[in-house]
Amino acid sequence: MKKILKTLLVFAVLILFAGSAWAAVGCSLNDPDRDVKRIFPESTGYKTTFVTIKEKGGEALKKEIEDKLKDKLEPVYESIDVPYSFYIILKGKEAIGYIHGVNQKGKYGGIQLIVATDTKGKIISFYYQKMSSPEAGKFMDTKFTSQFNRLTLDDFIKGNLSMNDPSANSPEDFRATLRGLKKNLILLELLLQK
Amino acid sequence: MKTKIIIISLFNLIVLSGFNKFAYSGESFFYKEINLIGGYSSRDRWIDKNGMMNSSVGFEFYRKYSGDYGDFLTADLQVRAAYDSTKNSRQAWGAEIHNAWLEYKFSQYAKIRGGHFAPSFGLEPVLDTHSTLLQTLAEQDIGFNKDWGIEMRGSFPKFDYEAGLQIGSGMSIRRQDDSYLATLRIGTPQGRNLQGGFSLLSGRTLESEGMRTFPKNKLLFRDAVNKKRVGLDGQYLYGSFLFKGEFAYGQDNKNDVLGYLTEIDYTLPSHQNIEFELQYKSWINDIHTNSSDEPTLTLGATYKLNQSTALRAAFLHDFGMMDIRPEDRFVVQFYFLGA
Repeated sequence: MKKILKTLLVFAVLILFAGSAWAAVGCSLNDPDRDVKRIFPESTGYKTTFVTIKEKGGEALKKEIEDKLKDKLEPVYESIDVPYSFYIILKGKEAIGYIHGVNQKGKYGGIQLIVATDTKGKIISFYYQKMSSPEAGKFMDTKFTSQFNRLTLDDFIKGNLSMNDPSANSPEDFRATLRGLKKNLILLELLLQK
Repeated sequence: MKTKIIIISLFNLIVLSGFNKFAYSGESFFYKEINLIGGYSSRDRWIDKNGMMNSSVGFEFYRKYSGDYGDFLTADLQVRAAYDSTKNSRQAWGAEIHNAWLEYKFSQYAKIRGGHFAPSFGLEPVLDTHSTLLQTLAEQDIGFNKDWGIEMRGSFPKFDYEAGLQIGSGMSIRRQDDSYLATLRIGTPQGRNLQGGFSLLSGRTLESEGMRTFPKNKLLFRDAVNKKRVGLDGQYLYGSFLFKGEFAYGQDNKNDVLGYLTEIDYTLPSHQNIEFELQYKSWINDIHTNSSDEPTLTLGATYKLNQSTALRAAFLHDFGMMDIRPEDRFVVQFYFLGA
């Protein structure tokens, strides 16, 4: 017991100097090299950049994101100090598109939604990097994910969405997918393109 | 004493104050780490460590280097100042270098890495166990989680590969008795709900005690152990469950050895910041000898306060081996990793 108290005392002193606490990284690609080449076969490289809502605009930007999303950002998983990873896809020196992923709370656990767009924000490809659901196969099927191709943030804001829930018993995950994709496109626009 | 002062001063200067402004600057991160562990063991009574993991403060610096044509170099440095209250005050502090590598990308198919990183064998290279109370088989199987050397890796549409050549010493930089470690792992791409890998290992590894890089951890034997291994590993995500498994078979000198691990992780759907883990792990030092088995059963829980901070607890039952009596251990952990 004495050694535990001794250890805690030492670390308590150190923690006093530790300063403010910001969050660890958000959703990043497991293997960007493979994903970039698969989605943008003409690409010659990509550049990774990390951006937070806090450094880009703070509380005012958070409010703007929430207004567009028509929902509050969840304080534990969507705090403004989470750095988002953006992949700027290059052909030579020229940017030809972006890839960006977000975490989204699903019915059974975390969902990771990855979206690739052209430089104007039109979806070229969408896939789940992680999908915690007994019906994951139905969601991850390209018959479902390809229905989002060619959509833009405007389509999500105006509700121009015609796809149906592919699952039998997981409407929460369908709604989570729509929210996550919309959030992804909002963050792309406001954190990277603006 | 001099070493202790240098380590503490370095961490106070670098980690705990001055680097805040470099938290993330577009291409890089600088994270602070605090890892506090305490518990009770039926064998050792009050403890402030779990296995080889001590309470520590540290940092991680991660950076992508890019030019006009994109990313070409990645660097990662993850260091801890660890405190071991069982040692006298002169020896209580030590520096642990966990990740310390530079990786240059030739193409999607070929990247070369040099420094300190996980050997290309089993679950360890595809799981982040840096902070977790539940560990893979690596400690029993290879003797350490990370080693110094070089590695080539790449990804193809249907599979990933990685092949490493390391010095066989683990945390400390030392080479003797012709030590080395050669490993190869071929696996399915990460990001699938069902993943698997096949691994091979050949080497002469040194056996040491503790996780310290500076001052060097204690070398248990002067002679290296001849190791040969073949391994299989897999993970399957189904709903709120994540199943993990690992199996290794081979030789340590002339003994036939075998180890396996099974683990089930369950995320509470209603409170997804709470996870439970159940792991059964066994390592048999000589399959032809009775009572050479080292099985452990661990029940763990994780509560994430936010994306930076987690509270963990684990109850471990070590079934004991030969003349070592069984142990029950309860450990709690406070873990923070953030800018």
